[in-house]
Amino acid sequence: MKKWAVHLMSSRRAGTLVGLFLLGALLSYLSPFFLTTSNLLNVMEQTAINAVIAVGMTFVILSAGIDLSVGSIAALSGVVMANRLQAGWPLVPAILAGLLTGALCGLFSGVLITRGKLPPFIATLGMMSVARGAALLFTDGRPISGFDESLRWLSTGRLLGIPVPVLLTIVLYAVAIVLLNRTRFGRYVYAIGGNEEATRLSGVSVTLHKTAVYVLSGVTAAMGAVLLTARLNSAQPIAGMMYELDAIAAVVIGGTSLIGGLGTFGGTLIGALTMGVLRNGLNLLGISSFLQQIVIGLVIIAAVLMDSLVKKRQ
Amino acid sequence: MKNWNLKALAITVVASLFASCSAPPAQNAAPAKPRVALVLKTLNSPFFIEMQTGAKAAADRLGLDLVVQAAEREVDVEKQMQIVENLIQTGIKALLITPSGSREIVPVLAKAQAAGIPIIVVDTRIDPAAATAASVKTATFIGSDNYEGGRAAGAELILATEGKAKAAVLEGIPGHETGDSRLRGFKDAIKDSPGVKVLASQTANWERDQGFTVFQNMLQAHPSIDAVFACNDMMALGAIEAIAAAGKTGKIRVIGFDAVDDARKAIDMGTMLASVAQFPGEMGRMAVESAAKLIKGETVEADQRVRIELIKKAEAGK
Repeated sequence: MKKWAVHLMSSRRAGTLVGLFLLGALLSYLSPFFLTTSNLLNVMEQTAINAVIAVGMTFVILSAGIDLSVGSIAALSGVVMANRLQAGWPLVPAILAGLLTGALCGLFSGVLITRGKLPPFIATLGMMSVARGAALLFTDGRPISGFDESLRWLSTGRLLGIPVPVLLTIVLYAVAIVLLNRTRFGRYVYAIGGNEEATRLSGVSVTLHKTAVYVLSGVTAAMGAVLLTARLNSAQPIAGMMYELDAIAAVVIGGTSLIGGLGTFGGTLIGALTMGVLRNGLNLLGISSFLQQIVIGLVIIAAVLMDSLVKKRQ
Repeated sequence: MKNWNLKALAITVVASLFASCSAPPAQNAAPAKPRVALVLKTLNSPFFIEMQTGAKAAADRLGLDLVVQAAEREVDVEKQMQIVENLIQTGIKALLITPSGSREIVPVLAKAQAAGIPIIVVDTRIDPAAATAASVKTATFIGSDNYEGGRAAGAELILATEGKAKAAVLEGIPGHETGDSRLRGFKDAIKDSPGVKVLASQTANWERDQGFTVFQNMLQAHPSIDAVFACNDMMALGAIEAIAAAGKTGKIRVIGFDAVDDARKAIDMGTMLASVAQFPGEMGRMAVESAAKLIKGETVEADQRVRIELIKKAEAGK
């Protein structure tokens, strides 16, 4: 069997992938509107933002950490970028300003965790509030709206028939997979997640690597903000609320273990798509919004439950 | 290897349990009744539930298949956008929407327009500049004159306090045209009364628990506050609880907006002075009626105003 097929079929990912296909099959049976090109493209576009944010979240969770601040960081980076665009900056420098904001927030969390010895839950919980407050303060609570075509293209544009946000997501995942599987950095992140003490004792700079994953998380949150701002043509300081939960859900449905050291980007992508497909399907079927919330929660629980059962057997 | 089968099965079983028992019967065949979608800001508020009720009654009467969807929170424009995108896929013949973001919703309305779906905007206007920039033309707007409502509230405050008050204001989500208009109306009403001062004005994002917390803090910072105008009843009701917690019940006048049931009870009990009643059930009804007309190819008025009424103690029983 081809190497990539074997790779794909490794137990952690395969379950989620098969689950996604079965879900898709079920939805196409229940709704004639699901399996159309335009709907599937919609699903991918709708999933893109969460998928992007989930990249950084995957790195963090692999290192046995958690980042609750990504939604707030997205809001702050979004308004910084928007502010620079309104001030006349060209697109790329403005986006870089947003990414830098995300990176700095992540750096702050990272330092609190590594040097300050704060548990990641607490440090990022604090950052969640600080970044949100900063976004509101920076904009006086008002959204910044109305950008020109160059930014909007990042949401509405197509290259070779593929929507730009989808393309960007694919590129980001490709980079992340290479980073994780083919560099020392990636190996160390796994190692830190698996056994931090042992990794530290073997001479790896745990401080550097742990801080780096939070910086990455901040940067991907900012990337998500770029896509969100382009999609809504507006940067709101209240944007991104609860986005951290969606990102975490994507990561855990994808098979990454919350205690660290185990997981893949392929899994996260499948996890993000599963949630996107689920939401999309429930909308198409006209199911009560209240019921939707219950279904999504139960799917997350089921996915993680299965994972822990798998681990118990191994 | 069997392990991953379990996981796949688990995910699908859970999803399918709900999907299959709730899938509406008229799904797969071409629906006999034209399908119309009502996308609300949220279903977690009596205002929108009344709107849904009015809309459903009209839909049943007119033979339309009404789908009602909403995001969990009024702040979540992106989810509302996703809902609209997904509903466009299902061949709806009209879109009725209460936008969660007057500017942010415009891109997805452009998609609806491109799909040939007439757009009926309810309750909260979309930003005209953003709409023009995106070449979005909506079929009609149905809603109250929130500016006039704000003015009525301001006028009532002046009347009740004989022109002397130290007021606080609880605002809605910034950028929502309804809240912005009510605030403007209120401020314009009081601007010619120098005795009415606004000591604090902050947003509580339309939510009751935020109304409590924000007003409690305002009271801490400005103990002399003797009046509060909240841009909706949820926040007003939260403020009333904060007043009770501070032991100041009866000493601070509260004016809300929407006149939902809980507010009317409060007015009866004397804990709230007044509320500007809207008639969301009528908005829902008129929206569906407009949709029925548009589907038949008839025209509707571009701007359909729904009445408002200031509710005070004597009339609260209505």
